[in-house]
Amino acid sequence: MPDVFDEIFALLDPERLLRDPRATGEGVRLAVLDSGVERAVLEEKFRQSGQSILPVEGGIFIADRAEPLPYEGKQSTPHGTTVADIILTLAPRVQLFSADIFGPQGSCEVDIVIKALHWAIDVWHCKVINLSLGVTEQRLQQLPKRQQFLRAVEDGYYKDVLIFAAAHNDHPLTRSYPALFSPPLISVDKKLFADPLQFAYELCDQVEFQAHGRGYLGPFAQEPATSWAAPHLAGIAARLLSLRPQLKPFEMKAILYWLFQAQKKQ
Amino acid sequence: MAKADEPVETILIVDDEEPVRRTFQEWLEGAGLGCQVLAAPDAERALDLANRAAIDLAVLDWHLGAGDDGLQLLQDLYAFHPNVIAIMVTGYANQATPLDAMRMGVRDYLDKNHDLSRETFLQAVKKQLALIRPAKRARSLQQSLLAFRQAVEKILPLVQSAAALNDPVPLPDAIRGLMRFLIQVTEAKDGVLLVRHYDSTKTPAETIRVYDSGGKNLEVTLLPFARSVAGTVISLQQAAVSNDLQKATWAFDLQPFEKGRRCVLAAHLPVASGLQAVLELFDKPDGFTPNDQLLASAAAELGADLLRQALGRKQTEQLLIDSVSAALAASEHVSQSLGGAVERPLEQPPPEQVLDQLRQGLRAAAGDDAHADLSLRMAEAIRVLARRHGRPALEHCLTLIDNVGRLLDKATGN
Repeated sequence: MPDVFDEIFALLDPERLLRDPRATGEGVRLAVLDSGVERAVLEEKFRQSGQSILPVEGGIFIADRAEPLPYEGKQSTPHGTTVADIILTLAPRVQLFSADIFGPQGSCEVDIVIKALHWAIDVWHCKVINLSLGVTEQRLQQLPKRQQFLRAVEDGYYKDVLIFAAAHNDHPLTRSYPALFSPPLISVDKKLFADPLQFAYELCDQVEFQAHGRGYLGPFAQEPATSWAAPHLAGIAARLLSLRPQLKPFEMKAILYWLFQAQKKQ
Repeated sequence: MAKADEPVETILIVDDEEPVRRTFQEWLEGAGLGCQVLAAPDAERALDLANRAAIDLAVLDWHLGAGDDGLQLLQDLYAFHPNVIAIMVTGYANQATPLDAMRMGVRDYLDKNHDLSRETFLQAVKKQLALIRPAKRARSLQQSLLAFRQAVEKILPLVQSAAALNDPVPLPDAIRGLMRFLIQVTEAKDGVLLVRHYDSTKTPAETIRVYDSGGKNLEVTLLPFARSVAGTVISLQQAAVSNDLQKATWAFDLQPFEKGRRCVLAAHLPVASGLQAVLELFDKPDGFTPNDQLLASAAAELGADLLRQALGRKQTEQLLIDSVSAALAASEHVSQSLGGAVERPLEQPPPEQVLDQLRQGLRAAAGDDAHADLSLRMAEAIRVLARRHGRPALEHCLTLIDNVGRLLDKATGN
């Protein structure tokens, strides 16, 4: 005997929701905290495919400065561009912000991630933040630092910002943060799907979701990686947000879960 | 009184009158000045003693008998010991030529006929020793500093120019073995190790070195790390495979050693902040597998440990070099505080081309090769003397040459 929830779930049509022509990411401000984005490459790629994207904005975050250095449209390594490309492939009309937290040094400390998180939330007013990176538990032994990191993630949660964090590629053998701060954010593992708009809810050692783990641009884009999975789910969220911009993180998580259940039934 | 660990001053008494000599010697030895006292009756014996011992203070009789005089002896002593100080003892102080004498290092006169007593004699000697001792200590320190600097200056450039220190991190032999092992077990065709160092305070800020599987540094023009395959794998946090490298375009460029490669397996060796190493294996016939990735990941962890150890050693060496450089700078500072720059070692001889030209000129003038060579040798000897002892040495050389000239003229009747 179906109850009221069965009736609500029956109304959910993932195809209709995810493939709505208005689900383009329009009006959604999304930050990619990564190794920078090669703006001209993405503009050229999408121009060739007949789509126009909004100019990517951003900043370069370094240790000894409170404010980011100006972003000049360059990447520190190709990783960030691959991530941004995935998001734009799924939600081409998002307003993308590149927070280059690696910089020319090529390495990133937790303090810089925290600084960039706050900047993306409070200055860029982003609704979605993608973190295709993580700090292993081994390197985050200091409890105060871990607490500080968690507070930054919670700050986003209470300000209705959706944070997508990639699990470690060896998860659960290797545990990494912020993916393991999973309640206030959306943690993502990798899986290969026939359709990049497909995803799964598969709770495994604090990591909840799985998304398509292959990218489209860059030398290792075809290599299954959580780095490519997180932006897929962030892109899907951006599509949904362009239909309903005020969705809160817990609402989005519930919708994603329901959509996954509905996809399964189909 | 000289301290136990300091060199003892040597006083030379030269007087042709034996009682005077003995009296002076007794006064000095009885005064407990802590000096070595030598005595000679004439210039020849005095020079013989000067040849064997470093003379600090000479007490010279103005008239030494047999045609010798104290001032002439002082000039000759000066050739042995340029810092020698003299007290001139004379019965004819009014006849002395103070200006010349002072120039030659005479610092006091004692008149045998007027004020010469034990007290006045010792007072004069003590006064000069009070000046000699600090100057001697300063010279001794300068010499030690010079020896120290010469030793360090000789070693420092050698160490600094050592290839290992110019590398971002010296490549341990074990890394080469690891690369060869990995190539063998994965059946890769070959591989490279990229080591990238970034330091914003240096120009250029980024340096990248690439080593082949034998550890040889590949001399190729490299593209910036920001657009490289290696750059991507660092952010990926796992060993990664591209089995269709040439088709994967956009956002990156292939390094010269990657061009034409079909597939690559890359793994990051996290060494330190600002220092990244990436291992790249190429062209396994059937493409790299997940097992190869696992192997590469394990090897990368081991390789990173090896490189971190090598980096630690390099940092220790660098610390040593920095300390030595700092000591060198400090020695210069101390030397300047002592009143002048550390004496530099003698200049190298002029370049061989210059000597050749001089030789040819002299040969043309003299018409004799041996003559030309001797002239050159003499010129070089005078140059070295001038460098070592300054203008007084040159003046002394000229005096000697004049004297020799007169002697020869007289002997040959010219």
